[in-house]
Amino acid sequence: MVKLRDVTRVYNQGRPNEVRPVDGVSLDIDVGEIAVVKGPSGSGKTTLLALIGCMSRPSAGRILVAGRDVAKLPERFLTEVRRETFGFIFQQLHLIPGISVLENIMLPLYPVDIGFSAAKRRALALIEQLDLAQRRRFKVETLSGGERQRVAIARALINQPRAILADEPTAHLDGGLSGELMRIFGDLRSQGKTLVIATHDPLVYDNPLVDRVFTMRDGRVLDDGDGDGGGA
Amino acid sequence: MASGRLGKHLKILEFALSSMLRRRMKNAGLVIVFGAVVFLLSSIVFLTSALRAEALAVLEGAPQLLVQRAMAGRHALIPLRYGETIARLPGVGAVTPRYWGYYYDIYTGANYTLLGIGDARLQAPGATALRLVEGAFIAPRQRGVCVIGAGVARIRGARIGGIVSLRDARGWMQEYEVIGLFESPSRLLTNDLILLAEADLKALFGMPDDGATDLMIEVYNPREVANISRKILERLPDARPIGHAEILRTYETLFNWRGGLLLAMFLGAVAAFMILAWDKATGLSADERREIGILKAIGWETADILALKFWEGAALALVAFLAGVTAGYAHVFYFGAELLAPILKGWSVLFPAIDLEPRIEPYTLTVLFLFTIVPYIVATIVPSWQAAITDPDRVMRSV
Ligand SMILES: Nc1ncnc2c1ncn2[C@@H]1O[C@H](COP(=O)(O)OP(=O)(O)O)[C@@H](O)[C@H]1O
Ligand SMILES: [Mg+2]
Repeated sequence: MVKLRDVTRVYNQGRPNEVRPVDGVSLDIDVGEIAVVKGPSGSGKTTLLALIGCMSRPSAGRILVAGRDVAKLPERFLTEVRRETFGFIFQQLHLIPGISVLENIMLPLYPVDIGFSAAKRRALALIEQLDLAQRRRFKVETLSGGERQRVAIARALINQPRAILADEPTAHLDGGLSGELMRIFGDLRSQGKTLVIATHDPLVYDNPLVDRVFTMRDGRVLDDGDGDGGGA
Repeated sequence: MASGRLGKHLKILEFALSSMLRRRMKNAGLVIVFGAVVFLLSSIVFLTSALRAEALAVLEGAPQLLVQRAMAGRHALIPLRYGETIARLPGVGAVTPRYWGYYYDIYTGANYTLLGIGDARLQAPGATALRLVEGAFIAPRQRGVCVIGAGVARIRGARIGGIVSLRDARGWMQEYEVIGLFESPSRLLTNDLILLAEADLKALFGMPDDGATDLMIEVYNPREVANISRKILERLPDARPIGHAEILRTYETLFNWRGGLLLAMFLGAVAAFMILAWDKATGLSADERREIGILKAIGWETADILALKFWEGAALALVAFLAGVTAGYAHVFYFGAELLAPILKGWSVLFPAIDLEPRIEPYTLTVLFLFTIVPYIVATIVPSWQAAITDPDRVMRSV
């Protein structure tokens, strides 16, 4: 699904405040697995996720998405690849306040060549699937934390991406909700989706559903441990 | 896929409108300020173009060539024998004396123009661009009657069969029965013109038998006007020939002077507008910036965001524009441009009242449109574009 080869991301290159949040990382993620990137805060997980998801370009190295090198694609094509391949669940969720659950979920489809009613049908199906039917007309700021999380998941799925990238998805959830979230992720995997989760939450990386765990420290991946998680 | 592309823009438009509702306070404020600027600009533009049209309408009814007599630099009565001299020039047709003058009504404080209608003048070319709407014109040898503009009738509350009293040169009151009402292409004329029988007018003003106010000259070939004017001056050095061109020049001078003041205001308004636009340009709120980042991150392209902001700007500008133009139109044509009156004082010397024919020209609207909507949309799109070209991964770290 995704291959990284010697990928480095440098900020403020050549200046005294130069940082390399991702430094020579190589890794493979296969289709249909749940991969976790774990590591302490500041170790480069978010930066790595952004690179995998074509949100930003590497300073050096190659990134192959479904066999295609995306490192040097111009913005338009990069956006296209990203839209077709990845759905994001941001750490801060980034839902848009003031508009309804339904509208938030449909938002990624607005600039896509798909009719309004078809887009709405898709969103309603996801709303059903994620148990948000009662809330679909609510403004997102009136929802509970768990509900918001599910809205963010639905929005990530609306483009029917092959992979979901989630950054610290349990950061704002209590234990019970984290378990439910992992169950949803398990369902998605069984639908054939690939999941990449950045986290420092043991409830996630020790979860038996996880197929592969990468441990990061200071921008480097220490092991490409197959089955550090209990799944193996 | 054309339908898909259309669907895409409809969705973006829909979201633009719902976004505007979300920020309704801010947008209402913008509509008010923008609308006020458009109101001011459109008032000025409507007023100037209406006045210009008014002047052209006056001109249309004016004769090809008028000859007055100047004495000590002032307009004096012209001897009728001058007409005989002029009539002998080649290319000249009928020469018709006109009898007219200004009348100040001490009771109402209004100025009227009195015009004498003689038997010959009824047939003179271009004698009347006036259109009778009620009653009759003055018949040959009819005395003691008058025909007034519909505007004068309104102002004085006069109607057919009513009496208009005027004080003559000796201070005696003369009464004239109103027998007709007319309209003209120019409101300015209908508002201040009173027609009397020529003999009545001469008696009223105490004019001598052998003089007229000016002479109307029929010129067979309009291109000969300048040439004939020159010949008149050769034979009659104290004559003052006035062709269309001279009348136009007089009006132009007047309009340019007024227009200059108006232009200064116009530029002031444009400057105010630019300040507003600049404020808007630099005033992209943190919320809006964040939202652009989110849209970017969930798969919107820079172009999609620009489309969104274009629709937002266009919708707002359109609402404000229509409101401003409508208010400006009402202001100028129904409320006598009251807010602009201070710079228009002085019109009243020339024209008794500013009561303009409502008119709207595609050209004026286009100019207004270009001066307001276009800069506004540009001013809203530029900062959004700056926000939209940043890398989407920013959003992954922002709170
Ligand atoms: N745009 C940036 N400019 C400068 N430094 C950055 C930027 N983005 C991230 N960093 C730095 O990179 C390091 C890794 O950040 P991040 O990928 O967010 O780690 P994690 O998600 O594991 O907490 C941090 O020290 C952070 O300050
Ligand atoms: Mg992080």
